[in-house]
Amino acid sequence: MEIKIMKNILDRNQNKADEIRNLLTLKKILMVNIISSPGAGKTTLLERTLEAIGAKFRIGVIEGDITTDRDAQRLKKYNIPIVVINTEGGCHLDSNSISKVLDSFDLDNLDVLFVENVGNLICPSQFDLGETFKLAIVSTTEGDDKPGKYPMLFREAVAVLLNKIDLIPYTNFNFESFNSDLIKINSQIPLLQISCTRGDGLTDWYKWIADQIVFSRL
Amino acid sequence: MHELRIAEDLTAIVLDTALSKNLSKVTKVNIIFGQLIQIVPDIFEFAFIETVRNSIAEGAELDIEILPLKMKCLNCGNDFQPKENRFTCNICGSTDMGIIQGKELFIKSIEGE
Repeated sequence: MEIKIMKNILDRNQNKADEIRNLLTLKKILMVNIISSPGAGKTTLLERTLEAIGAKFRIGVIEGDITTDRDAQRLKKYNIPIVVINTEGGCHLDSNSISKVLDSFDLDNLDVLFVENVGNLICPSQFDLGETFKLAIVSTTEGDDKPGKYPMLFREAVAVLLNKIDLIPYTNFNFESFNSDLIKINSQIPLLQISCTRGDGLTDWYKWIADQIVFSRL
Repeated sequence: MHELRIAEDLTAIVLDTALSKNLSKVTKVNIIFGQLIQIVPDIFEFAFIETVRNSIAEGAELDIEILPLKMKCLNCGNDFQPKENRFTCNICGSTDMGIIQGKELFIKSIEGE
């Protein structure tokens, strides 16, 4: 006999993500799920961001790492609440792991929670963490073909940061090709061109993210 | 890698359903994947074989139906299937699009006795 079910296979993850989203909305906390390849600059972006707007907003960080707490160690000097989730081989964070660590934060004294997902462009885009939005980071050294190859992420993200633009002269990265692929997939998406080491475009990023934080406090 | 985690969640739903319907054996599991879901069917099938091992669903056939991507132009209202990853309306050329099909990750039904 056949038994009809018709439900989302990731129902458990989705239900937990919905719970988290409701809680964070109630607490007026912006949660940003940062997704990129390994080495695109997620942790460096967080370092620059904490230096620039750390005094203005109450910031917390969840560091998703397959193993080690090296990224968290880099952020320790900013004296903000940081929790590490080691996925022990898992290629993405899920809503259950986020839910388990939310208690470690004082949610009544937090404006924004940055979640640094495991470096990977495929798996993390599949799992809702209960975030306010997903942010995609791509670096020029990875090549200009990422939007075309990973459409799901660039469709789901609300903004794209193109990092390491200072290195373009040393790579075969073609901005026109990158941008045209991105627009074909998501014509409305804001694209910020930055260099976390040289500082290009970061002022625009600080303003953009500050606007999002302020908006979520309303 | 995420294929394994999704296979685990699928197996949990299959076994819960089988238990609630008093099945002693699950012979087939019918699922639906949207085209945009980046899951490799071969890896998923392999993961599923592992996650149902030593359960009443061990050896169950997995039927994967792939739904093509369908979009709606938010400018002219045209419904269409985009070619490759070019999400541009084939009538008015607008790039302002909504996805109406292609992100599914559903279990449709199970079969058993």
